[in-house]
Amino acid sequence: MADLSTSIAGIRLENPLMLASGILDENGYTMLDVMKNGAAAVVTKSIGNEERDGYSSPIIVEYGDSLINAVGLSNPGIDNFAEEIRIAKQAGKPVIGSVFASDADGFTSLGLKMQEYGCDAVELNLSCPHVKGFGLEVGSDPDLVEDIVNEIKSKLKIPVFAKLSPNVSNILDIAKAAEKADAYVLINTVKAMKIDIRARSPVLTNVYGGLSGPAIKPVGIRYVYEVKKETGKEIIGVGGIASFEDAVEYIMAGASAVQIGTALYTKGKGIFRDIISQMNTFMDDEGFGRISDMVGVAIR
Amino acid sequence: MNRITVERVKDEAKNVRTLFFRWDQKISAGQFVMVWLPGLGEIPMSLSYIGSLKGITVKAYGKVSQAMIELQPGNEFFIRGPYGNGFQVESGRKLLIGGGSGIASLLPIADSETDAIISAKTRDEIIFADRFPDSRLFLATDDGSAGFHGFPHDLLDRMDLSVYRKIYVCGPEQMLYRVMLKLRDRHVNAEFSLERTMKCGIGICDSCSVGGLQVCKQGPVFSIEQLKDNPEFGIYRTTYSGKRISLNMK
Repeated sequence: MADLSTSIAGIRLENPLMLASGILDENGYTMLDVMKNGAAAVVTKSIGNEERDGYSSPIIVEYGDSLINAVGLSNPGIDNFAEEIRIAKQAGKPVIGSVFASDADGFTSLGLKMQEYGCDAVELNLSCPHVKGFGLEVGSDPDLVEDIVNEIKSKLKIPVFAKLSPNVSNILDIAKAAEKADAYVLINTVKAMKIDIRARSPVLTNVYGGLSGPAIKPVGIRYVYEVKKETGKEIIGVGGIASFEDAVEYIMAGASAVQIGTALYTKGKGIFRDIISQMNTFMDDEGFGRISDMVGVAIR
Repeated sequence: MNRITVERVKDEAKNVRTLFFRWDQKISAGQFVMVWLPGLGEIPMSLSYIGSLKGITVKAYGKVSQAMIELQPGNEFFIRGPYGNGFQVESGRKLLIGGGSGIASLLPIADSETDAIISAKTRDEIIFADRFPDSRLFLATDDGSAGFHGFPHDLLDRMDLSVYRKIYVCGPEQMLYRVMLKLRDRHVNAEFSLERTMKCGIGICDSCSVGGLQVCKQGPVFSIEQLKDNPEFGIYRTTYSGKRISLNMK
């Protein structure tokens, strides 16, 4: 039996599979259920300083096994989120608080609240592609990213992860700006849209959304590989993981852990246990004793 | 996304209309679809007719549903789905309990061995009473304007439930919760169809979740076993933003 445990920024994970932000992570009981189903940790839905409804439906388009979403950062506001963290923490596993704001002060106050609520780390959403003034609009400005990451790192005791966007001209510039973060999370969704030809109309209320799922996996693999190779920093890989092969591919590209989101739509919560068991067999067959033996092994 | 043309309409009550249409799609009783009106929005709807002629019964309460009850034969709308798990229908004598427009999603399982409790706030809001013979129909209204004066769970106290192989319930969550408590104590086999704030319909956005279960994917029909110890059913729900609010049941 291979040892599937891993660690990221000093946080021990019983296996390398985490729940990605934005999927089944608004309600504490759901996060608890996802961890009971085998996820080693969860990342919460991105939470802001104010309650926000997001966009009206349609907020999602099915595109084969992939999805295009424009939920619009709906969230109850940080002051209404303590109870969800408390419930999720009953699993006894790490809970990572995802936060979004437009400047360093906004991110820092959110991070301090997540720390107070008992989160094990904070993930900065520097990459949501479909809301004006947040996410990608913040995360594509290297000076602003540097300011945010340096400020929040100077105030928080828990690790800080920077979730970066593939929707920029050079991700290495942004990664360098965020170099004080304890780890990078790569990648967020790819900006996309869907037109229904019979309705002669974009489907999403917001018109533009973010593509996730198998359609973006090769893009994610490339960014993880490139950023790991150029920076050497710890990376959490995310984007289109739906099988143990996908997870191993991300790990060999340089990820120390991975996040799964869209695959819950096609495979349900059982996907965590399935991948854990199949990854175990793979590692035994291929002679890998532990996850760290595979991290970045493909990098040339 | 499927483009659907309204074949005919039937007014069931004030602000309640059934839209009939053809759609070559197998649907089981209790499943739902997401209905999209381009430019207006998208809402979940259960089906009240699931044969070759399908029907959805719409009660106007928001922008999209208001536009839907104004649709005429020949008008179009769009559908994705069907989604979720329907009722596990068992043969034998059955009781349907439908609160408000909840009776609509129970209609497809009605047969000659079916009794029904149809409840509403007032007489004018009772729908589908004509679908059941008087001998099998129990009406209940909050204001006493028709049938039993009170709520379905109170009416259950006066009924012999041992004759039913299974009871199927759909309506507002407060009503479902009260009925569940009654049926739990009497050890009756039952299924409940839930309705919660729903956005994606495919089990990922977490808006409709109840105690870790996704109404859109693991439901919308749940057994009494899945609900009786659920930490949120009848107690808490989340709003469109995701804010936890109390249903004030206790």
